[in-house]
Amino acid sequence: MPDTEVSVRWPARYNTIPKDVFHRRDVYEAELSRIFYGPEWHPLAHVSEIPDKGDFKTLQIGEAPVLVVHGDDDKLRVFYNSCPHRGTQLQICARGHAKEIECPYHRWLFNLKGDLVGAPGLNEFSASFKKEDFGLRELRSGEFAGLVFATCSDQAPDLDEFLKGTKDYLTKALGGDGRLKLIGYQKTIYGTNWKEYGDNEGYHPPLLHRAFRLLKWQGGQGSNGVTEHGHKVMEAEVQRPQPGFLDDHSLVEFRDTSTPPRSIIVSFWPMTTIVKHMDVINVRYAFPLSPDDTEVHYAYFAHQDDSPELLQHRVRQASNLLGPSGFISLEDGAVFSRVHAGSRSLGTVAFQKGYADKPLQAPCFVAQNDEASNLIRWEHYRKSMGFARD
Amino acid sequence: MIDPIVLARVDALQMKYLSALDRRDLASWLDCFAAEAGYVCITRENHDAGLPVALMMDDTRARLKDRVKFVNEVWSGTFEDYATRHFVQRLDCKESGKDRYDVLTNFMVSYTNRRGGSEILVTGVYEDSMRIAGANAHFISKRAILDTVTTPRYLVYPV
Repeated sequence: MPDTEVSVRWPARYNTIPKDVFHRRDVYEAELSRIFYGPEWHPLAHVSEIPDKGDFKTLQIGEAPVLVVHGDDDKLRVFYNSCPHRGTQLQICARGHAKEIECPYHRWLFNLKGDLVGAPGLNEFSASFKKEDFGLRELRSGEFAGLVFATCSDQAPDLDEFLKGTKDYLTKALGGDGRLKLIGYQKTIYGTNWKEYGDNEGYHPPLLHRAFRLLKWQGGQGSNGVTEHGHKVMEAEVQRPQPGFLDDHSLVEFRDTSTPPRSIIVSFWPMTTIVKHMDVINVRYAFPLSPDDTEVHYAYFAHQDDSPELLQHRVRQASNLLGPSGFISLEDGAVFSRVHAGSRSLGTVAFQKGYADKPLQAPCFVAQNDEASNLIRWEHYRKSMGFARD
Repeated sequence: MIDPIVLARVDALQMKYLSALDRRDLASWLDCFAAEAGYVCITRENHDAGLPVALMMDDTRARLKDRVKFVNEVWSGTFEDYATRHFVQRLDCKESGKDRYDVLTNFMVSYTNRRGGSEILVTGVYEDSMRIAGANAHFISKRAILDTVTTPRYLVYPV
């Protein structure tokens, strides 16, 4: 991808971040190139969202449209959602089913492996035209626990390497064996920069989210860290909230007896987050729309072995607890946009809680209610962007 | 043909509901529902695909009361408040049992955005079941199905 020179003055103090990286258009354009289209992997779909041969899902990596296809051979492939002929968007709905992929513009036809099967007027194409050169552009992809990842870059490490330090968390968060069933989506736009969206940490929950206090809901023991590739991982015991505040306390009950009541979060660099909290199984696919807007698709899942009662419980919790209008999560959305509005004041922000005035080394684990481990991500960001410290 | 007096009561209940929301008066919003009523706000994307997850799912009276607590007690002072105007157009009204009516109504909701301008928040259709018994009118169920798949901000208030 073409890139231009971008310069940001980065403070010498390790825990300090310049605010202009949240607003500058030139920084954002460089982030698309160096991070989103650079050597990182992006979760795009769980196999349960496209369970049958011919099923597809459309999404974005950065601003680039991509298409995840469940092939006739049961392989999941990721293509750019763009005809290799003139660039026309191929599929327009969020999810669908197709036996083959046809571009509407000139009726070029592709099979589910992305091969060009036919194109009208082919005899009159240039002499150098070869069908095999005009298949759909496929991205490197891989799968773990049913979750499909792709990268735009040949320079990305193997997926196994990228996932280092996250696999145990991811397996547990995705129901243990990845045998999930899609139960729905919630989609919204937060008025914030993608990095502010991703900068949530362990310091804020008991302070920002009043629901925890009103439910007399204490946190349990847990771990909170960031891996070498900048992924946040968190696992904590979750105490049972006390009845009394809600008229319908069943909303905050644990009913899945197959797993211990724990909260598990894997927040992949650069964006998408997987959350298992109470009986909610949630993948939050996210992508930037601009320096000022971030779109998040909350996908919710049940386990294939759930009883009808547990399934209904998961649906109620998914609809009311942890989404953009969720009982214990709505305030996150409010803070995302308020942080973004406030950071137009220029200068710097600083991470304090858990920071001991010296650089941190990945993998880095801090106390559950600390925020300092986010600095590992910021260091990964700074290096990816090529910004030198003062 | 529905009795015009019944239709007037159907419309009056809907207006009471919309007025409560535009005044951000959640207690009055709750008063629009019968004791056995439920409220669901779901996107058409999920509805059409048979996916049950909603944006808000208050399937019991207790859940409806808790929605009022969420807005008035839990989130108060943190979220960025916004003013709405609900505009509706009744499409259909059918009798579905003694004192019961199924009512289909288009809606469009405008809101004041972060910069102080006006935009569309959501559009869609209400699939309502109402009980109209004399002057007493309540929703037995209200299902707001949003054509808006991706909301332009997080929703605080019911639609």
